[in-house]
Amino acid sequence: MADHTMIGKMGRVTGAITPGHLGEVMIPVRGGSEAFHAYAADGDDTIPTGKRVVVVEYYPPRTVVVTPM
Amino acid sequence: MAQVIAVAVAAGLLFLVVLFKLMWRVAEPNEALVISGLREHTPSDQVSESLGFKIVTGKGTLVIPGVQTVRRLSLDLREAELEIDCVTHQGIPLGIKGVVIFKVGDDYTSIANAARRFLDQQDNMDHRVHNVFAGHLRAIVGNMTVEEMIRDREKLTQLTRESSGTEMEKLGLIVDSLQIQEIVDPTGYIENLGRPHAAAVASQARIAQASADREATEREQEAEALKAEARRASQVKQASYQAEIDQATAQAKQAGPLSEASAKQEVVVQETKVAELEAQREEQKLQATVRKPADARAYEQTTLAKADRDARISAAEAHAKEVEMQAGANAQRVKLEAAAEAEHVRLAASAQAESTKAIGQAEAAATEAKGRAEGEAVRAKGMAEAEAIKARADALAENQDAVIGQQLAEQWPAIVEAAAKPFGDVDQMIVLNGAQGLSEVLAQALSQGATGLQLARNLLAEGRNGNGKAAAKEVDKAAD
Repeated sequence: MADHTMIGKMGRVTGAITPGHLGEVMIPVRGGSEAFHAYAADGDDTIPTGKRVVVVEYYPPRTVVVTPM
Repeated sequence: MAQVIAVAVAAGLLFLVVLFKLMWRVAEPNEALVISGLREHTPSDQVSESLGFKIVTGKGTLVIPGVQTVRRLSLDLREAELEIDCVTHQGIPLGIKGVVIFKVGDDYTSIANAARRFLDQQDNMDHRVHNVFAGHLRAIVGNMTVEEMIRDREKLTQLTRESSGTEMEKLGLIVDSLQIQEIVDPTGYIENLGRPHAAAVASQARIAQASADREATEREQEAEALKAEARRASQVKQASYQAEIDQATAQAKQAGPLSEASAKQEVVVQETKVAELEAQREEQKLQATVRKPADARAYEQTTLAKADRDARISAAEAHAKEVEMQAGANAQRVKLEAAAEAEHVRLAASAQAESTKAIGQAEAAATEAKGRAEGEAVRAKGMAEAEAIKARADALAENQDAVIGQQLAEQWPAIVEAAAKPFGDVDQMIVLNGAQGLSEVLAQALSQGATGLQLARNLLAEGRNGNGKAAAKEVDKAAD
């Protein structure tokens, strides 16, 4: 799966993303939805659970960088 | 010939089908096929590009037997049970039982990583994960407090992610969930944690129960009071009705006797009237037959008695007058006679008295003169004797008392004689009490002598100076 298929996908935060801590987002992919480890694009940003986010970077296999919509 | 050809074709078709069946492999939805052998001609992925094996998921593929090998890697969920002793952030020892649920990642990178590590030892996967995760869980628990462990699921999952995420990525696994099933708490920390709240709740429950009970009791008692009141009112009403019924019954019962009695009364009244009339008739009859004649007789007798009485009174008065006049005459006569007699007697008595008086006076004078002369003589003699005794007493003053007593005793008859002498010399003695008076005088004289003796003795015994005089004086007195 190439980077371009992941980048731009929308997801939902299931574990709060706080500065210095790993969060979790659910992203629909491969016909299902999978959980990915998530960092905020802005390192000081805090993204609470339930917030909708967009994937801006993808580090295989399971890490994404997101920014809140 | 044609049959042979048909059979051959059929056999050929069958062979092709069997061959196809042998070469065609299908990946089930929960597994990945890892095919190695021939280099993949159309590299569509970085993985296959670099390692030279093909990963197929969710579809079929043709495998050339003998050239290529197919392995299946399960993508199912797996779980590893954990049971560790650890220490919390606050230093409280706990025993944790948990379960970690994981699977092989669905992307080709994860499948490739997993395939290279576990393909031949998928059964050992749980054991290896258990070993890896025990350390992670210990670290996770060490970063949490007991309260967080119980309440803060978010933090638990976050710590799980942070501590184990990257390491599991290396193995091509993803952790779906970490569940703590049981916390063994040897120090009783969790139990004590809940105790204040439990106590408060229990207290509130008791309070609520007590107040509800109290309220219920109050209501019950109020209801009881109301019931009692209603009962009282009912009984009062019943009693009053009963009283009315009784009264009515009694009145009804009395009605018969009452009317009977009133009828009787009427009869009695009538009878009484009859009796009264009869009494009146009787009275009238008696008036006529008894009283009138009796009155006449009484009047007759009264008149007769009055006349008789008047006659008698007149007779008695005349008689009284006569007797009175006769008595007056008699009294006058007796009076004159008595006066004459009295004068006669008085004159005779006065003459006799005069003579007796003269005789008495002459005799008295003679006796007086004689007595006085003889008294003087006795007195002189007594005095002389007293002097003698006095002298003797003086002389014997120094002698013993016994001697004095003896001397006195020797002289006693003479003293007594001297004392009695005056009586003896008296010729005529007028004693008013007669013989008894004489004996009294003698006894007095004798007792005086005895007293004088005793006195003299005592006085002599008491002292020696001038006692003789006192004794003599006493003797004189006795002589007198």
